[in-house]
Amino acid sequence: MTFYRSLLVSIIALLLGLAVLNFVTSSTLLSLFTQAIIYAVFALGIGVLLKQNGMVSFGHALYFGSAGYLMGIMLQLQWASAETLIFYTLFIITLVGLLFGLIIVRVPGVAFGMLTLAIGQMFYLTASRARGFTGGADGMNIDWPSTLFGFSVSQILKPSVIFMISWTTLIIVIFLVSCLLRSRFGAITEAVRDNEERARFIGISTLLPRAAIYSLSALISGIAGVLSALNTGFVSPENLHWSLSGMTLMMVVVGGFKVLWGPALGAVVYFMFKDILGDYATHWMTIFGVVLIAVIVFSPTGIAGAIVGLMSGKPSVGNKPAQGH
Amino acid sequence: MTEYVLQTEDVAIHYGGVKAVDGVDLTLSKGQIRGLIGPNGSGKSTVIDAITGRRMLTRGKVVLRGEDVSEMGVVERRKRGLSRSFQRTSIFGQMLVGKQVELASHKMGVEDSYADTKAVLEELDLWKFAQVEAQDLGYGEQRRLDLALALVGRPSVLLLDEPMAGLSVKESLDLAQHLKQLTSSWDVSVLLVEHDMDVVFSISDVVTVFELGRVISTGEPAKVRSDPRVREAYLGSTA
Repeated sequence: MTFYRSLLVSIIALLLGLAVLNFVTSSTLLSLFTQAIIYAVFALGIGVLLKQNGMVSFGHALYFGSAGYLMGIMLQLQWASAETLIFYTLFIITLVGLLFGLIIVRVPGVAFGMLTLAIGQMFYLTASRARGFTGGADGMNIDWPSTLFGFSVSQILKPSVIFMISWTTLIIVIFLVSCLLRSRFGAITEAVRDNEERARFIGISTLLPRAAIYSLSALISGIAGVLSALNTGFVSPENLHWSLSGMTLMMVVVGGFKVLWGPALGAVVYFMFKDILGDYATHWMTIFGVVLIAVIVFSPTGIAGAIVGLMSGKPSVGNKPAQGH
Repeated sequence: MTEYVLQTEDVAIHYGGVKAVDGVDLTLSKGQIRGLIGPNGSGKSTVIDAITGRRMLTRGKVVLRGEDVSEMGVVERRKRGLSRSFQRTSIFGQMLVGKQVELASHKMGVEDSYADTKAVLEELDLWKFAQVEAQDLGYGEQRRLDLALALVGRPSVLLLDEPMAGLSVKESLDLAQHLKQLTSSWDVSVLLVEHDMDVVFSISDVVTVFELGRVISTGEPAKVRSDPRVREAYLGSTA
């Protein structure tokens, strides 16, 4: 997809968000959409890691939850204005992601997943125990100031406004990441993912591109964390727990990670299921589990992969039959 | 005194008590093709891995155009003109043919990477596939793409690990001709590991025979072919 086509699609998507506001008047439904979209951003973070590095993380809740904690703690300490602290938070998340990335992306496959799990749980336990700083297992309220970027926070937190902020953020993140992945950097990371050894033999140092993608995925997860902190005004150790990473990974698998917007679609599908089935069945996750299995078996590239495959008349994206050699 | 583009001195790679390669001295002159032959497990591919930095040396050194590169990593050696292809086709399956060669060219620091890409792909008759995903190419074309990736940036030394593996007789002969032409037109020296004896003896200037990690014979093809030790160890009645 060319730059201008991506731009056009992004503008249309933004207009679609406005259209949703016109049709949906229920604040409960808008709140559900907002939550789904925040998780869509988070899923996008995990999806980028899977798409570009081919790596599965069970610990990205670390960046999602830490963003909330960092905002909460720094706002309490009143180090700077809330706007500046958002920037600091995202900077710290990116930097920490890069540092961890430089260490753990050297490890392939299952071992990488286990490392992400270990690091994530380490932070979860720390947040659970450090009552003085984080409020321990009770979590902490985030004291947002009365205004943010010149707007009243009470206005921002209106369901329609926070929905539009989240939606716009999602579209902008997808657009910027798609631009980045179309660049030479994107080609380098694809090469490293597809064939690391050959990549080294065409002169690519493979560690830094992998670490950079890990850091980018941490940043995107951090953006989702800041949005969540703004939306709920609260953060708890549950936001750092591996089960949150696992749940978001399910969204990524259902949506499909070969297409950039697949994980976001997976998040929306997940929340729709949760809302619709949750009314009828307490154990709705069982049904969702069946859906997950069905998607993995019948469309390994997820719903997005199947949609793109149908539209282009080709096999699902990234699911072409291999050459017989 | 002959100036070698590549030299290995007493190269050894041991895995515990197993001596995969032991005390190998090889030289490669400018524009020369040296064929490496020997039974499976004799250490030919391990020598190539040692030269390119894929495996650490237990002992010895690798000298590229007068510079000791033994301590350098794969990327540094590649940027100094030491390139290779692999026994199994090693390409970027999901990437367009032109895009991956252009990427390699850019990483090699070639100023006009488009022109370099075109030249390499035209040389190997792949330019018409520039906009095709590599996984959609036929096997022979994929093997040529592997070679194209190795040729990007005009390396001075090319190490080819069984480039004819899996090719038809015609494809093998075509590729052999290409290799022979490349040494003169692209000024590249080639170290060729290959089991197709007809190809090795027809295009190599020098042939080196390995057995159990050591060199047992080296010299001009005719001389090696008639060496009784080689006939006994490897060629047997097929020679």
